[in-house]
Amino acid sequence: MQRQLIKKGAEADIFLVQWGDRKAVSKVRTPKAYRHPELDGAIRKQRTVREANFISSAKRAGVASPFVYFVDPVNSEIIMEYVDGQNVRDALTPALCREIGRYSALLHANNVMHGDLTTSNFIHDGKRLVLLDFGLAHYSERTEDAATDLRLIKEVFASAHVKSRGAFEEFTEGYRSIAGKKRTDRILENVREIEQRGRYARIT
Amino acid sequence: MRCLGVESTAHTFGCSVVDSSGKILSDARDIFRPPEGSGIHPRDASRHHIEVSSSVLKEALDSAKTSMSKIDIIGYSAGPGLGPCLRVGAVVSRALAGFYNKPLVPVNHALGHVELGTLLTGASDPLVLLVSGGHSMILAYSNNCWRVFGETLDTTVGQLLDQFGRALGFASPCGARIEALAKKSSGRYLQLPYTVKGNDVSFSGLLTAALRLVSEKNELADVCYSLQETAFAMLAEATERALSFTGKTEMMIVGGVAANRRLAGMLEVACDRHGAKLHVCPIKFAGDNGAQISWTAIQEYQATGKSVKIEKSTIRQSWRLDSVDVKWRP
Repeated sequence: MQRQLIKKGAEADIFLVQWGDRKAVSKVRTPKAYRHPELDGAIRKQRTVREANFISSAKRAGVASPFVYFVDPVNSEIIMEYVDGQNVRDALTPALCREIGRYSALLHANNVMHGDLTTSNFIHDGKRLVLLDFGLAHYSERTEDAATDLRLIKEVFASAHVKSRGAFEEFTEGYRSIAGKKRTDRILENVREIEQRGRYARIT
Repeated sequence: MRCLGVESTAHTFGCSVVDSSGKILSDARDIFRPPEGSGIHPRDASRHHIEVSSSVLKEALDSAKTSMSKIDIIGYSAGPGLGPCLRVGAVVSRALAGFYNKPLVPVNHALGHVELGTLLTGASDPLVLLVSGGHSMILAYSNNCWRVFGETLDTTVGQLLDQFGRALGFASPCGARIEALAKKSSGRYLQLPYTVKGNDVSFSGLLTAALRLVSEKNELADVCYSLQETAFAMLAEATERALSFTGKTEMMIVGGVAANRRLAGMLEVACDRHGAKLHVCPIKFAGDNGAQISWTAIQEYQATGKSVKIEKSTIRQSWRLDSVDVKWRP
């Protein structure tokens, strides 16, 4: 099988492979030499299994995610659908911010917390937005965990998308369209709480 | 142009003369050492600062072979930090600025770490991991500001090590003793919670769990080892995520915890994988010092010409680095 490395992510190497008659992606969580082998092995296996499970949970929640073809927890490998499109980190628009907000609310409505909600984990293929990287996902009913997802994307907008002004407001609008005003306000209040807990935050 | 910088955010009272070419002409400091098993009490630390301030100042001027009349501006650490300690540095600086009629420039202490780090390592546009008792942040510069790409959601890695060490009866800062103990471990890894949330980390659960391992009578060296392995791997992973996201080709580590060899070693491995060059701030200037204040004050003053009136010179115990406007970087 031809394997072509297309991306060295933070966690995994991404290869372009052939799966039957279609193009697919192989995501391999390679060992991290800086982590103790015992800790490293446990983390890679857990995240691989988690990712495969939550990719399916996302679809049930109405969020587009790649199709999983094959999972190998021992080698920490997932083979999944190849999504041909542009990384949202490099092409963020107000409409996409709203769509990211809508996706997040759909996941949260099903108690799915993504855990790594950054713009680089979304691909836009021209028609639909696809969410990736569920390795840090988990189930939770706590408002705090939903707020943690929102705080992360807010941090990403503020650091990596300085020029896209109002990105978080657009995101919130999309979120509100699914979660409703009351629920959204409650989560946003919790986001403020988390920020105030941050180091040297101004207490307002 | 020559600047006298005064640092007094926490345990260190430091004075340093730096010139506008970036030459550190002197670096004098005196560090408050709390008794075994205790942390930095702000009152005791500030009393220490008051007692040593004259001699540290004199040493900084003498070893730079200069005098107050030859100093052009005065920089002081205005925050973030412990109020009583910050006030000592501010009072000393105000008195000098008033008596000798010199411009007074307030400096953000964290910005000082980052700016001095880039001066000493030669890093031009790095991803920065700032790790100390006050900070655990992943930063990158864009559009007049060091922006936060990830940080701790609760305590810092310095606090984690200090609070753990104090429970064992060490005096803050405890990082070096924990590192030395960890080296004696056979490499037995005891399970501890590993919490990475996107680019952010959380250390509070780790502290509780590590202290429980101690109370369960595990070998102390093994607990120290496991604590370091877990906490630093979390930081390395968060850093690697930010490295992959930003695509930076340089990485720099600064702050007191940058002195830890194990952490620097882990980051070296992470940087290798992404083809990034790792810069480690020289140990001597990794921790708090006056030079970080002088150098930042010089750059600020040269870029903006701004100084603060004595009656308006304040301190801010809470002052986030990402709220500081940086005018001198492209």
